[in-house]
Amino acid sequence: MAKALKINKNTEEGLLQLLEFLLDSEKVEGIFSLKKLNKNGNIAYSLITNKDELKGAVPLDPHMPVNAGKILSHFTLAEKTKRPVAAVLRPCELRAFVELIKRAQGSLENILLISLSCGGVFPIDTMNNGDAKKRSSSYAESLKKAENSPDVRKTCQSCDNFLPQLADMTVLTVGKKDADKECIIYLNTKQGENFAKDAPGNTISAEIESSETEKLKSKRKENKEKLFKDFEKTGNGISGFSRVFAACLGCHGCGEACPICYCTLCDFDSKTCEYKPESYESELEHKGGLKIPPGTLFYHLGRMSHMAVSCVACGMCSDVCPVNIPVADVFTKVGAALQDVFQYSPGKDIEEPVPSGTFKEEEFKEVGEH
Amino acid sequence: MDKDFTPTIIGFLCNWCSYTGADLAGTARMHIPPSIRIIRVMCSGRIDPLFVLRTYLKGADGVMMMGCHPGDCHYQKGNYSTRRRYVMLDTILKTLGLDEKRIGLWWVSASEAPRYEKVTNEFTESIKKMGPNPVFKEIFI
Amino acid sequence: MNSTGKEKKEKTATGKILSVEGDLRKTIKGLLKKLLKNNTLDAVLVPMKAPETESYAWVLLEDETLLDAADPLPPVMTVQGGRALDSITKQGDVYLKIGALMRPCEIRAAVELYKLNQVKLEHIHLISIDCPGALPLKEYMDNPIKSKENFEKIVQKGDKNEALRPVCQICQHFSLLSSPSTEETKASSSPDTENHSAADLHIGFFGGNGKKLCLTASTSKGKDLLEKLELSQDDSLEYWKAAGEKIRQSALKNRESFNKEWQEKIGGIENFTTALDACINCHNCMRVCPVCYCQQCYFDSKILENSPETYLQRAQERGSLRFPLDTLLFHLGRMSHMVLSCVSCGACEDACPMSVPVSQIFSMVGDQTQKSFQYVPGTDRNVPLPLQSFLKDEFCEVEIPCECDQSLLGKA
Ligand code: SF4
Ligand code: SF4
Ligand code: SF4
Ligand code: SF4
Ligand code: SF4
Ligand code: FES
Repeated sequence: MAKALKINKNTEEGLLQLLEFLLDSEKVEGIFSLKKLNKNGNIAYSLITNKDELKGAVPLDPHMPVNAGKILSHFTLAEKTKRPVAAVLRPCELRAFVELIKRAQGSLENILLISLSCGGVFPIDTMNNGDAKKRSSSYAESLKKAENSPDVRKTCQSCDNFLPQLADMTVLTVGKKDADKECIIYLNTKQGENFAKDAPGNTISAEIESSETEKLKSKRKENKEKLFKDFEKTGNGISGFSRVFAACLGCHGCGEACPICYCTLCDFDSKTCEYKPESYESELEHKGGLKIPPGTLFYHLGRMSHMAVSCVACGMCSDVCPVNIPVADVFTKVGAALQDVFQYSPGKDIEEPVPSGTFKEEEFKEVGEH
Repeated sequence: MDKDFTPTIIGFLCNWCSYTGADLAGTARMHIPPSIRIIRVMCSGRIDPLFVLRTYLKGADGVMMMGCHPGDCHYQKGNYSTRRRYVMLDTILKTLGLDEKRIGLWWVSASEAPRYEKVTNEFTESIKKMGPNPVFKEIFI
Repeated sequence: MNSTGKEKKEKTATGKILSVEGDLRKTIKGLLKKLLKNNTLDAVLVPMKAPETESYAWVLLEDETLLDAADPLPPVMTVQGGRALDSITKQGDVYLKIGALMRPCEIRAAVELYKLNQVKLEHIHLISIDCPGALPLKEYMDNPIKSKENFEKIVQKGDKNEALRPVCQICQHFSLLSSPSTEETKASSSPDTENHSAADLHIGFFGGNGKKLCLTASTSKGKDLLEKLELSQDDSLEYWKAAGEKIRQSALKNRESFNKEWQEKIGGIENFTTALDACINCHNCMRVCPVCYCQQCYFDSKILENSPETYLQRAQERGSLRFPLDTLLFHLGRMSHMVLSCVSCGACEDACPMSVPVSQIFSMVGDQTQKSFQYVPGTDRNVPLPLQSFLKDEFCEVEIPCECDQSLLGKA
């Protein structure tokens, strides 16, 4: 049985109370959380240091403007933070942060990780739609019943990895029937317990996995399998694959939004990937025609070869694509296949090396010998 | 199957084992299919997966990666990385239904000229059976 | 100004007429086909609908049978044509005579890139076409069938309607036939008229009622194309120009109210910040902008990175700090780098995942700034970029004169 903090307030308020306590008691110097901006209803991930500013914080708002793993990496890229901060982030964001740390792009030190059992998020471009309120309440209802909200992204509806690993604290949202009255925050680590010491609320012991989380998990697994199958129907083979990406602008926005793609200058934006005049001439000669700019499939396959084994299935790539290409469907599918082959689970264990950076002498022995 | 089809196969061969093996096969006047064009690399570990992908997407009918047997790499461990990279490429292409059989990895040592002859002929035959790489004619790539 | 403007007018006073046989698009493609067939061109760059999808892409083609699938008047602008052309000549001139059929704003972007030493035009024939405007990319992608029907109506009527992207509704350069004359701008004083144009050849159809096309050439390359097309019928341009002028006048009105509206919307730092609220700093606007050609953008570089300590301090100064950082700096900085060359093409807004009105903001600021330099980007290859040239006696009013200046001036 794990320890948990029980607060007699609705889930978001309970969490906010804890955050306020952390700031007040100076246990942390700042808090990363989603926060409302001015009038438009837009939100942004913000580093909050002042208690008053916490009023605008919406840590559980179902939007992901940017994968927060990327932001924490940016925050700790130059060096680890000397002063402790807390960060509220979704499981896929946490996984992304861990993957980035494994690539020397950040540090976990002095960061209190607060995550949640995740009901998913809405598509990014609905952030300032007028109907946000309406969607939110139906979202809350689905969460209580541990069901998929129809408004959340396709990626989230098929995400069976919605219980965070490595979080110091986990806020219970999935299947929390009395979320309007009570807030449960699991304390998963020693660090989590230390920070929650003296926080208002009662300590209880409870189990994070329940029949409710199981229910959602199996539903989402089912969706995932279906998603992959559906992709096979349309996207398989060279003609299917090139159809899927026919509309691709080559803007590389997907890679830019992807937390795992951290390179400052992407290989595929570099001179080595530009076509030489002779390449145009020779390709025209045997094809009669060529999509301009060329290199769409090279970009996507190449990016895949660089990072798909670490794909945390956060869906950001699909979310930002201006021409609605289901990039994440492809990347999560390939990612899952690679993770299966290398028995790797991205973001699960900070000590486990990234498969593309290591090898074992005793593996894949049959390869190359035929 | 087109009887006259001579595939274009690009071979990335490591300098110390496979390339030397290929050289030996040549001097021994073994029968090496004319479809193979060799690019010599210092170690199979130098074969960037992007080289392979680019070759494939430019329309090569087949790509052969070759290096020293595991444990024999001139640079100790280069070929273990190669092996992972190959498995990765293979998985990606397989998952997307992209003719993963057009890309292969073989260990060929400096003395294994007969093996070189065998694998190049076998691979050429299998590519012939598959026919030309459809990517070669694809406009929207 | 000297007489270049006038000379040009006289030279381009007539155009070649071609009657539309059946379908407008087919007739236009017929022209390209002919140029490929008689080897005047080796290849053409045209928009094409990708097979079995509703999306469009640029295709460079040599094989004229591929032209059947091309669409010279696509309902959307996917990749900005200037950018497409840039990718072709980036590593050097392609020794193929390429005819690039693009919208006027794409042509103008290509010309700006030419001035910036990016696009090489030696073997490129720029062919512009009267532009009915384009639909917002996202809306089209969400509902391609219906959007296409809408778009066809716009093409038939030739009016700038509200379904089009905001920048299209205020565009005055939709036809290089009736483009605002360069006399208004700081036209170059060089006597040869050869390069005083954006496109080599222009295909007009506004005013033709769907029955006629009007072709005009403004460079020797364009004249060559026109000759090889062997069109016999001449027509005075007056009528065609008038047709375009009518649309342009209403667009001009739209532009004025548009500028006013946006000046109000983004006036003051607070309003400006609010307008950019939704921005997630993904820099997609920059990456699709034809004018932003840098391989490594300053705002993507390490230069803006800091230590956690600095971030915490910055947060403490105002209670909280939004991430990603420096959104405002990015937009203002990008503006300062390129807005004089902004061709108001709308590509940035189309590619923005958050539908931030970037192109509207850039277009407004661009229009104002360009006016103060009397510069119209991309309409004349010989007019230098404003920031690459200067006159000794310009903008004196921005200096704050000191007393000794005054006395010197007095003496003079
Ligand atoms: S992908 Fe999974 S973890 Fe990420 S937001 Fe969606 S449901 Fe949550
Ligand atoms: S975001 Fe979409 S259009 Fe841009 S590169 Fe990725 S898939 Fe292509
Ligand atoms: S590839 Fe897409 S789904 Fe995978 S980590 Fe990157 S952004 Fe997330
Ligand atoms: S800033 Fe926007 S509107 Fe202006 S040229 Fe660039 S993409 Fe076009
Ligand atoms: S304006 Fe849009 S495209 Fe540009 S950086 Fe912001 S979110 Fe990205
Ligand atoms: S030297 Fe041959 S594989 Fe490394």
